[in-house]
Parts: sequence; structure tokens; C-alpha cells
Amino acid sequence: MANELTLSVNGAQHIVSVSREMPLLYVLRNELKLSGPRFGCGIAQCGACSVLVNGEEVRSCIAPVSSVVENQVTTIEGLPAVWAAKKGLSPSDVAKSLHPVQQAWIDEQVPQCGYCQSGMMIAAVELLSKNPNPTVAQIKDAFTNKPPSPHLCRCGTYVAIIDAVQRAAEAMKA
Amino acid sequence: MTIADSRSPFVTPVLTRRGLLKMGGVMMVSFAIPQLVAGDAAGGTSPDPQRLSSWLEIRHDNTIVVRTGRTEIGTGMSGFYAQVVAEELCVPPEAITLIMGDTDKTPDGGYSAGFRSGAANLRKVSAYTYLALLSLASQALGIPVSELSVTNGVVSGRSKSISYGELVGNQHLDLKIPVSGEPARVDSNSWNGMSGLDGLVVLGDPPLKPMSQYKVIGKSHPMPGTPDKVTGQMQWSCDVRLPGMLHARMVRPPTLGSALISAGALDKARFPTAHVITKKNLVAVVSPDEWEAINAARSVASGSKWTDWSGLPGSENLTKTLRAYKWGAPSGTRGNSAEVADALARASRTLSARYEQPYIKHAPIGPFVATADVRSDGSVTVWTHSANSQGLRAQIANTLGVPVEKVVVRWLEHAGQFGRTTFGGDGAEGDAVILSQLTGKPVRVQWTLQEDLAWSASSPGWVEDIACALDADNKIAAVRSTFYSSQSNDARIVGAILAGMPGSEPKPGYWVATEWPYDKIQNRLEEVYGMPNPGSDSSTIGLRGLIMRTPGQRQQNFALESLMNEAASSAGVDPIEFRLQHTTDQRLIDIIRATTRAAGWEPQPAPHSRAKRTGTEPIPGRGACIMIRENSYWMGIAEIAVTPDIGSIQVIKFTIGIECGKIINPRQLERCMKSGVVMGVSEALKEEVTFDTGRITSTTWSRYRILTMAETPEIKTVQISRDDKGYGGGSEAANAVCPPAIAAAFFDATGVYPRRIPLTQSYVTSLLKS
Repeated sequence: MANELTLSVNGAQHIVSVSREMPLLYVLRNELKLSGPRFGCGIAQCGACSVLVNGEEVRSCIAPVSSVVENQVTTIEGLPAVWAAKKGLSPSDVAKSLHPVQQAWIDEQVPQCGYCQSGMMIAAVELLSKNPNPTVAQIKDAFTNKPPSPHLCRCGTYVAIIDAVQRAAEAMKA
Repeated sequence: MTIADSRSPFVTPVLTRRGLLKMGGVMMVSFAIPQLVAGDAAGGTSPDPQRLSSWLEIRHDNTIVVRTGRTEIGTGMSGFYAQVVAEELCVPPEAITLIMGDTDKTPDGGYSAGFRSGAANLRKVSAYTYLALLSLASQALGIPVSELSVTNGVVSGRSKSISYGELVGNQHLDLKIPVSGEPARVDSNSWNGMSGLDGLVVLGDPPLKPMSQYKVIGKSHPMPGTPDKVTGQMQWSCDVRLPGMLHARMVRPPTLGSALISAGALDKARFPTAHVITKKNLVAVVSPDEWEAINAARSVASGSKWTDWSGLPGSENLTKTLRAYKWGAPSGTRGNSAEVADALARASRTLSARYEQPYIKHAPIGPFVATADVRSDGSVTVWTHSANSQGLRAQIANTLGVPVEKVVVRWLEHAGQFGRTTFGGDGAEGDAVILSQLTGKPVRVQWTLQEDLAWSASSPGWVEDIACALDADNKIAAVRSTFYSSQSNDARIVGAILAGMPGSEPKPGYWVATEWPYDKIQNRLEEVYGMPNPGSDSSTIGLRGLIMRTPGQRQQNFALESLMNEAASSAGVDPIEFRLQHTTDQRLIDIIRATTRAAGWEPQPAPHSRAKRTGTEPIPGRGACIMIRENSYWMGIAEIAVTPDIGSIQVIKFTIGIECGKIINPRQLERCMKSGVVMGVSEALKEEVTFDTGRITSTTWSRYRILTMAETPEIKTVQISRDDKGYGGGSEAANAVCPPAIAAAFFDATGVYPRRIPLTQSYVTSLLKS
């Protein structure tokens, strides 16, 4: 049944009227018109839909929207503000700045088709929040062995992702 | 490919730009009264390809809009096109905005797979425009063309200057572009059921800028789409939202050939705004609410009844089925039959092998999606990510029985699909247009992952028999190969087949895909056979086959290069040295030597003396292969570790080298080489479509396994760029260089040559025990 739920997404409050079991992905995409998180598998096997909930990666294709009420949801659209808040940047600087992970994804020219990369960046932000200086082995482990599934890229950009995570780690230390 | 001879459009011109103009020029340049911008033409017609403004417009702010029917496929094609245009026009690539793939806004169409043919059109259009602009500047400034130069879109001479934007102002350059070619159409006489899929070709030989003067090409300019993809600004094919749009989920039959008995009932109390739509075997649930459509479709599916069907052989019987098929005459032959037979008969030794691979999938990370708006006035608009918009447009027109001029295909980016839509269809577009026509509303159809892995076309399984004759000096005197597969050209639209509507009708067949690298082996006979797709007829889907990244050559090169490795071992010669003994092609020799050096390869015959088939310790092995494709020379060297007792293989390092003529963008080429290696390693180790007698069963990522980041090897790249051989295809074929090298490395480690991929744990275990 439809309920009015209050969500906090990318720092803003939204009231949506949807069924409580609707996966978060459909709320983000169809109600809030965000195109960062994308439908990949619908069964938490690929990571294309990943978002941060209170800083932890969540597969939004299977997470009921009711499970994130009263939590902070962040998609890639909200990453610049997360970084700006952390660094105490002014509102005008926020508009001009990207999260170091996003900047690293550009600088290392990571995306090919790019469909999976929103989820990849979300996974990178979570990893760097817990391990600011990951080794290649630790990056591989995080993107492969962390439940519920590996983050999959069919274009095969894994090497570029490793390069970008390490570049972002350096930038975030500065 | 449109252009058969890879070198012809790109040879260094005999005429220079200035020389041509001094001779009086070949074109009239004048200003026309401003006309409708291309793409604003009424209805669904494509812009007139003979008008310059359909291809290229110079705006008064000195920016440039370029239009091509080709699309970005994830490899950086849009960036490469921008660099090519920028180079010819002497402008920075950032000045260029590309419009791609929309049939009502772009003039040419064609496969998006081929950079060289797509770039050839834009390069010529740019060169024609450059000549015209120089001529106009000469008139405007009163300075002879011979004294003008162009930097960043500003023409200068005798301390006067004028920008392209100022020259053109708000007018259009009235320039006629010579083109040839036929529009795409459904054609039952053609091999793939379609013709005109190459797109239009720009004619003539306008003088092109010599590569020695290049300033833009050869530099690693950033890919134009990257920031939008990284910030969430990109609007993807899945993001189309239209007023009044319905979301649809398809209710598919339980097998690839079942017919509908009755669709399940819809519980209107649970799903008040959903509707079931049925046309023959096409069943869908539509709703304004996507989540309702998803749940209602599941409910309807569970109550639907279908006929049984068992038209497939079962994947475990694939090889047997291919062997048992009555093949008849080959569909492609190359070589000299009598000489090869004679050489094999006279040989001091012969070596023969039988290689094979099961079905594999393009397997995009994003399942296919399409949105269609079919209106009562007969107009049809489809938003999609097909890599051949004009081909798809022709198919949609054919299926709906409307003139092609009424159909518009709009292209947006989506998940990489690796050749699956090269011929136009293989997505949700058929479902979407049929449902929109039936409901009278715009409809968005999102396939599920399971649906995409089960109902899309695959790259068919194959077997190849190959034999060679070794002479007394341990050199190969002749090679004979026979390749068997099912057809790779079935772009029939799933929705049309299920709905019983007209579609393209491909014919069985295959083609000799190798580009022969060993000029010292003069005696060779290559034959290929293509059988109909299992379980496919006009009313059933069956196991449809479609080409996939490095098609045909990926498979046939696996057999040829594996044979070379086995023959080198038989000859007791280092496998790289053995290859060098069979070619005089200096380009090939150069990339072999450079890659070999980069990998630190020390010559030694395979298998290694430490090779063994048992044990719990990882055994190292290394292997090599080469390939020539699309004016590019490739070499791959795999270093792996095999742990026999657990049947595991780890690819430790892969060194890959390319010489592809002039490199457009070294950094993006490196990215494509490395990502291509990931796909190739995935194919070598993991990928296999499984099916029973009715359905594909590998329909999730836990059953159709692809490489993960943890399994990705260290990858080292080698690039050789040269100015005297035109452009080659660089972004596609890295995948095909991996499986033969990995198979050879397995042999080096174990002494057992794997004649099948993928090298899964169960196959490796059985191989080492046999």
C-alpha cells in the first residue's frame, strides 16, 4: 500500500507516496528523477544500482524504500556536496567541485560505456572512508569479495578503476 | 565494412589543399539563404546527405556541430571522431559537439563498430569544408589562399585574420557533399536479411592533411562523455520519460519456442492500474507505475499457460550436434585446395587438432530497454541504444508495415553490448513499438537480466578441424582448416517473432574471417560452414546467433594460433621464434619483437621442462599469439599459474602489443587494450551459455560468469604508432588476443594442450586427469 514516506536523499528531504516494499532504486529513478543509480540485475548481483546509506554501500535494487527512512541516502549526484561538507567548502565552491573519486574517474578516464560506474564510484567512496590508503590487493578484494556480490564491469575497466581509486586516495589526503 | 581496402581512404594525398585550390578547385562555394537546420525537416525523414549542414555546421561563436549516424559504443568512438574532424579543420576538439545516431538528425547511418569507415566520412566532409572555408577567407581578407594558415579555427595571413564563425556568420555554407550508398532496408535476398547496413559513403578524394602535420590526432584528448557519466548528468536510454508513458514488463514463454495457451489473469484489486496486453505469443503487463508493472507481470506469468517445446540440443550435446549436421557445401572458401592436399599427402609429418568453444553472450551489464511512441497519425518514434539506428529503423518500419519515413530512431547511450545490435535489432524495441501501437500510449520496456541473458542472441558455439604439414626443416608447408558454426546474423526482433509480425529473414552461412598472418605458408585452404540456428524458424526464437566483438576472427584465430603453438612444440622451437620463421611481414615482426621484449620473454620451446599434470603447487606457464585485423597488428603474451589438483588457473600477467598505423588517442587506446584483455581473459576462463532442450539456463550472473576485478591480471601494453599506414582498428580486438595465449600458457605449464575454452575448473580437472 502506498504510504507517505520522508526520505533524505543527497541532503534534501523528499516526501514520496509509494509502497513500503518498493525497492529504493525505483523511488530514486522514477520519483526523484535521479539517473545515477541504474538497473543492472535487480537481484544484487552486479552493483550498478549501488548507493550510500549513512555512508555504507547498499544495493538499491533490492532494498525496500522503507528500510532507508530516517537514513541519509547518497547517489553520485550528491557526492560533490558530501566532499564539500567534509572540507568545509563554501556553497559557490560546491557547485564547481567534484568529489575526488569523481575527479579521479575523469582523470584516469575510467568509463567506457559507463553503465556500471556509478556503482563503482559508490563502492570506491565507501572503501576510502574505511581504508584511506588501500593496496591493489585490498581494492580488488573490496570490489570482488564484499557481499552481496562482486561489482561487475562488462567493458572490463577494472584496471582503470584500481588506478582511479589510488589517485583518489592521494587526492583525499591533501 | 564499407571500405574494403583499409588503406585507400587514408593514403597521404598527392594533391595538397593549396595545390588543389591553385588548380581552380573542384567545388562552388557560396552562401545560401539560411535554411532549416538539418534535423528540423518535417516528419521522420533523415537529413539530406548531400547538404553540408546535414553533416557539419559552423556556428558564429566558432563552435562546430558534427552529425553522424554512427554511435558511441563505449570505446571512445565519439572522441576519436571529434579528433579526426578537429584535425582536418584545424580547430580544438573541444569546439566540436557531436550529434550521433538519431535518424532524423544525422545523415548517414551504418555499423557503429567500424571506426575507420565512420571516420572516413567525417574526415572527407571536414576536408571539403576546410577547402571551402579557406576559399571564403581568401575572398574576405583579399589574400591568396597560398598565404593563409589556420590555427584554432582562425584563418590568418598578412597580419589579418578572421574566424570560421565570423566567415560563416549566421548563414549556412552551401556545399554539396558527394555520397553513395543505399538506405538500410529489410531484404530477404541478403545474407543477414537486411541490406544497406553499411550506411552512406562520402565520395571523392579531397586533399587530407598529411599525418606529418597532425596536431590533434596522436594526443590523448579526454573522452567527451566522461564528465556526464561520472556526475550523473548523462541521460541514458533507460532514462526516457514521456508524458502518459506506460512501463511494461514482458511475460516470456517458458521456452524459446512455446506458444501461448492462455495468459494469466490479472488481479485488479492488487494491480488496479495495470493491464495485460497480448498479441499471439507476445504477452506484457503495462502500468503507469513501474513497480506495479513488475509485480503484476510476475503474477500474470505464474498463471500463464504455454505449450511445451524442446527444439534445442542441450548444451552438453552441442559438439555432437555440430558434428552430426549434414553440412553440404561450404559457405566460404579461401585458398588452394589441390596444393594443400598434395602438401599434406607429401609431408614428412602432419599435425591435426580439433578446437571448440560453446555459446557465449554479449552480456551487457544493463539489460536492454527501449521506449516507443506510436501515434494514430502513423508516426513512430523509438528511443534506444541500438548501434545501427538506420538498420533498426528499417526493421521497425517493416514489422509495423509503415513507410520508413514515418519512423524515427533516437539514440542514447547505454550499457556496452559488443556488436549485438550491429545489424539493427536485438533489443526491446520490437516489444515497445508493438505495445505502444496496441495501447495508443508511449511505452517503456525494460528487460530483466534473466530475460536479456535468455532471449537475446548469442555468439554461437563452434568447432574447427585444422591440420598442417611440417616439412623436413620443421617448417609448416600447408594448413587446412574447416570451421563449423551456426549462423551469426540473426537480428530478427524478438517482439516481432513472438507477435507473429514480419521481420528480417537471415540465411545460414559463415565467412572466412582470418587475415592470414603467415605469408611464408603459401599453401592454405580455409573453409567455413554456417548452419541454421538451433530451434529457430519463422515462428520460434531458438538459439539466435549474432556477431560479437572481433567476430569470426576471434574463433578462427583461436584455432590457427593454437595450431601454431602445437606445431612449434612439435618442431621443438620457441613458439614466438616459430611464428617469426613463417612471416616476412615487417609490421608483424616489429610488434612481435617489441611485445616480446616488453614481456621479458626468453626463448624456449613449450612445454617447459617443469610442466606437470598433478600437484597442489601452482605451476607457471606462458604462451603467445598474434593476430592481424583491420590494418592492425596484435601480439599477446600470457603468464599464468595452474594448480592441477584443484583445477584452477590464475592469469598473473598479460602483455599486449599493437601497431595500428597512426594512433588517434594513445591513452584511450591503452584503456581499450586493457579492458579488452579483461574480456578476453573472461572468455578464456569462464564464459559459457548453458541450455537444456527448451531454454537457456545461464540467466543470472551466478550462472553466466564473467571476470571479476580480483581475477584481473597485471596488464602491460605496448603501442607502436606510424604515419605511413593510415589508421587501423585499435579499440576492438584485444579480447581475441587472449584465449589462444592463455591456452598456450596452460600447455606450457602442464604439457596438455586445451582444445576447448573456457578453461573452467571442471574442464581443467578432467583434462589433466585424462
